[in-house]
Amino acid sequence: MEIDRVDGRTANQLRPLACSRNILNRAHGSASWSQGDTKVLAAVYGPKVGTKKNENPEKACIEVIWKPKTGQIGKPEKEYEMIVKRTLQSICVLTINPNTTTSVIVQVVNDDGSLLPCAINAACAALVDAGIPLKHLAVAICCCLADSGCVLLDPTKLEEQKTKAFAYLVFPNLTLSILPEGSLKVEGEPVEQAIITSVTQGAMSVDDYLHCLERGRAASAKMSAFLRRSLPPQNPSDSSRAG
Amino acid sequence: MEPRLANTWRLTVNEKKFIETALQSDLRIDGRRPFEYRKISIKFGREDGSTEVQLGQTHVMGFVTAQLVQPYKDRPNEGTLSIFTEFSPMADPSFEPGRPGEAAVELGRVIDRGLRESRAVDMESLCIISGKSVWSVRVDLHILDNGGNLIDGANIAALAALLTFRRPECSLGGEDGQEVIVHPPEVREPLPLIIHHLPIAVTFAFFGNETSVVIDPTHYEEAVMGGRMTATLNANNDICAIQKAGGEGVLQSVIMQCLRIAGQRAHDITTKIKNAVESYNTERALRKIKRHSNSVSLDISGADVDVVKNQNRSFDQKGVSERSKLIPGKSIADQSMDIEGETKSSKQGQTNRIEGDAKSFIGGPSSWDPYAGGVNLDLLKASLASRGTSTPSRKEIYSRGENMSCEAKPVEPPKDNSLASSPIEAAKTPLGTNGEKTLKDAVKSKNKRKKKASSAGGS
Repeated sequence: MEIDRVDGRTANQLRPLACSRNILNRAHGSASWSQGDTKVLAAVYGPKVGTKKNENPEKACIEVIWKPKTGQIGKPEKEYEMIVKRTLQSICVLTINPNTTTSVIVQVVNDDGSLLPCAINAACAALVDAGIPLKHLAVAICCCLADSGCVLLDPTKLEEQKTKAFAYLVFPNLTLSILPEGSLKVEGEPVEQAIITSVTQGAMSVDDYLHCLERGRAASAKMSAFLRRSLPPQNPSDSSRAG
Repeated sequence: MEPRLANTWRLTVNEKKFIETALQSDLRIDGRRPFEYRKISIKFGREDGSTEVQLGQTHVMGFVTAQLVQPYKDRPNEGTLSIFTEFSPMADPSFEPGRPGEAAVELGRVIDRGLRESRAVDMESLCIISGKSVWSVRVDLHILDNGGNLIDGANIAALAALLTFRRPECSLGGEDGQEVIVHPPEVREPLPLIIHHLPIAVTFAFFGNETSVVIDPTHYEEAVMGGRMTATLNANNDICAIQKAGGEGVLQSVIMQCLRIAGQRAHDITTKIKNAVESYNTERALRKIKRHSNSVSLDISGADVDVVKNQNRSFDQKGVSERSKLIPGKSIADQSMDIEGETKSSKQGQTNRIEGDAKSFIGGPSSWDPYAGGVNLDLLKASLASRGTSTPSRKEIYSRGENMSCEAKPVEPPKDNSLASSPIEAAKTPLGTNGEKTLKDAVKSKNKRKKKASSAGGS
């Protein structure tokens, strides 16, 4: 099957990734993540005292604020906030600092498709930069279904608008080299096979969805390698500024 | 959302005393002199009208957008300008999301007054049909990092964004000439806004003891200061606006001295903004020129190949991590699009192998790594053999251009020699070995860095 993407990539190619940490001075942790032309800036303010009214005070709470590039904050932004919040809650160790709130602020710099995965990646990198304890990292990717039934990875905005269905997928990212065999298996399946978040839009068949999952997981392996390479501190004398 | 007391950042008494005492000897805590500005850096984003300004530790982003609306009834011939400032919670732990606080409103008003009342932006040129259809320009300012003196930083961001913004060209059409047709940027070149002059805001901070005055306060100094004054003026020394909202009483002579100093600073800042905008415009123009000359060089001959090579080299001289590097690669990829349709057909057949090598491309300033996976050479040679000679020759030229810019790798020099020696309609085998690089280069998209990575990984 021939896939002709506008920018010349194959179905399995991602756009160039760029990640930089520690770009803001006041925030406790900050990171910017860009995939091609989509760029998102995330900042984290470390554990602050108190939780909101509806939250469980026995656990730490994560608060996400999504700032679009222009315009008012509406329902789509609230939905993104909720998705990012739940995703980050599953990777943070919430029992370490009970009754605290960690704020994650996501600022969209440019949107050229695959915005939510880019934001989740940026938020994860910002949490690492702030020194918030995490169980494991998360890598997010977008897969869309082309008309021919092929799965395209990391679509641009035009491709996302033309496609009939797409899925945002977030996978966990563990360091396999450290874990011994047989550990961290949940119900007989290794944790690496888990899916943290999946948001789909449009109708797709079950087979297509499973196909998306496979491709997404394969691509996430490369992305998580990139993430791990860019996260180590550039300046070894950097200390955590939380608190 | 109730403000959480523990989040407000407060300066300790010791720090306050230290700053005040130092100021008495004309020393500032970051080592500047009292009337010295911090370093200003202006960067532009991908689209027209998006900027990122850094004033020391203060980070501000500005975006300009425009849309067609109905004008106000009392001004049917003028467009509208509106400024929205967002104090993002990422800038300061005390900024809460939701309704803008007083500081945000004041900042928005000061910048608005500077631009609107002084008639810096020409509104009448934004009118398309009087009374019916005018352009409404919207400036969004996002404060990302509060390092002090947000007004000046945001003002520079707004000006830089307005100077680089391009609005689509539109013409009147329809039966009675009342319909507005907006031309997309590919059809007709978008137009810049007409800006008559640049109103620059310069902020002074006053401290109680001995009426010390400093310019461009940091957030530490802002926490200690007794009063603040912002003077908005342009390079012609016209005062567009002055804002001094309460605070310490200040002698008239001090105010006059401040205004004089503000005039000099405004001049410096205007030059900086103009230089930054000019270099952005040249880069933008170069981007357009580059695309056209590549299509010309498709007529294959030795001279044209050199043209492509030289252009690639000159682009490389521009600096390592600028986006401009990606653009020549992009324009090349656009033209080799139809070639790739064919290569993909053979590659798609091997889905398992491709899945294993799901390629991620590492570009950007923070990390660059050679491409980890390998590409199957046999497959590439087979795919090349199934195609004609004309298509590889196009890629050959591009790959030569790309490879000239690559760092010297041991495998490349012999290949380059063979490329130079073989004519365009060469036998398939030498093209096959060179083709391994050309195919990879064509398959990878815009980023030259990726092509470097692929050749490093594959060879």
